[in-house]
Amino acid sequence: MSVPLYKTVYDSISYGFAVGKVRVLETRVFGGGTYERLVDAPSFAEQKRILSDTVYGRYIENAETADDVETGLESALDDFYKFLNEANLPAPVVRFFRVRYDYANLKAVLKARALGAPLDGMLVDLGTVPAEVVSGPVEHLPEFLAKVVAGLAGDDEQVVSVEQIDTAVEHASFTDLAETARVSKSRALKELARLMIDVVNARAAIRARRRELPASDLAGAFFKGGSLHLSRIEKAYILPFAEFADAIASMPALGGVEPELLTDLASLDVVLDNLIARFLRRARAVQFGPEPVIAYVMAREAEVTAVRTLLIGRLAGLDRDALRSRLRELYV
Amino acid sequence: MKDLFWGMAGADWALLGGGLAAVLGGIGSAIGITAASTTIAGIVSEDGEKFGKLLPLAAMPGTQGIYGFIAAVLVMIFFNFLGGDINIPASIGFKIFLACMPVSFLCLASGIYQGLTASAAAGIVARRSEDSGKALILPALVETYAVLALIVTILMLTVLQAALAKM
Repeated sequence: MSVPLYKTVYDSISYGFAVGKVRVLETRVFGGGTYERLVDAPSFAEQKRILSDTVYGRYIENAETADDVETGLESALDDFYKFLNEANLPAPVVRFFRVRYDYANLKAVLKARALGAPLDGMLVDLGTVPAEVVSGPVEHLPEFLAKVVAGLAGDDEQVVSVEQIDTAVEHASFTDLAETARVSKSRALKELARLMIDVVNARAAIRARRRELPASDLAGAFFKGGSLHLSRIEKAYILPFAEFADAIASMPALGGVEPELLTDLASLDVVLDNLIARFLRRARAVQFGPEPVIAYVMAREAEVTAVRTLLIGRLAGLDRDALRSRLRELYV
Repeated sequence: MKDLFWGMAGADWALLGGGLAAVLGGIGSAIGITAASTTIAGIVSEDGEKFGKLLPLAAMPGTQGIYGFIAAVLVMIFFNFLGGDINIPASIGFKIFLACMPVSFLCLASGIYQGLTASAAAGIVARRSEDSGKALILPALVETYAVLALIVTILMLTVLQAALAKM
């Protein structure tokens, strides 16, 4: 029996139950029709009525304000992440999804402290560390977060800027994601981490080139762990913008991207995010292994973002056209 | 080791062949059913109404174990193991062993692959119950080769039985 067959059989038995559940649950992920109904709903109450028959019904049945919606959808997302545990996925896979919230919370706390602003409603309790621990004393932080704070403080205790906080936390976050994916030994997760880093790096490079920032600025904004090479980007940086976009688009990591779409600010984010969507479509098609479960949870993440946009948008009084355009920004 | 194998009597070879057919077919079926059943259990845990349509998919890899069992029983019947009068030359016994190999290995491999195919096909039923007929056809295609292997083994055993009768 060859090793690939052994792995296929092992994966089909280890993840079979979770994959079976996902095959049913993914049929309940919203399609375009549900979003259209939510957009066309004349009121927040009607949107709640539409959602009452879905998985979100119990989370938002008593919601009246934007904060209630946030809290309800946060609980829904928490339950989707709990499914990763129930699905018997390795601990690093679960961490991969949750640790991003630790860094987002840390960033919010550090920025609030730097600006002297209140933290009300800024933290999300979806991470691996309780939000109150992240907002508490530095000495109570787990090592991976304390290291970021220590790196920012340095030796001279000088006040750090918001930009420095952004850069330091995001560097730590992507380094952690890449390392967590490596430890998970999941090929799909490693590919996803690499792709996420490539997307962020490509976006930063194109924006920097568009604003004609010096190439030397790129190194500080470039995250490690992806497959885009900083040296190749720097080499292409001297080219005119259109040719620079051609060079970026021709890199294997972004295979298949139209260079013209990279030069257009309106389509840049959508095109790059579609690379992740393309990965998820491929992951869903995998029959045996953790990929379908990962793709399902990420589809639910995207769904929560869209539902939040539509519900809070309606509560804020946005009309159908405005809601539809925001939805398009998320899902074109 | 050499003495162990080449010193074996005809009846020993025949029993080894029949036993391997039963064991390898059974292993193939057990793995195949487990692979299909874990996925099906996940589907049924979310949608219990699909159990009836999914059960044939879980059961299908079980046939390989039956084919191996049939081959083992045929060895015992054709060569009079049940009657107690066993007189098989070593050369014929070794050929009986070889005759059991098609069903042994094909059932081991096809049982596992049929389980994997059934597991994937269960996804079709999870999405669209009305496509359960189509989902059944795919793993059934894998079955073909286990059936062919059983036929080959039966034909070989029949020829060997006739050869033994002439001796």
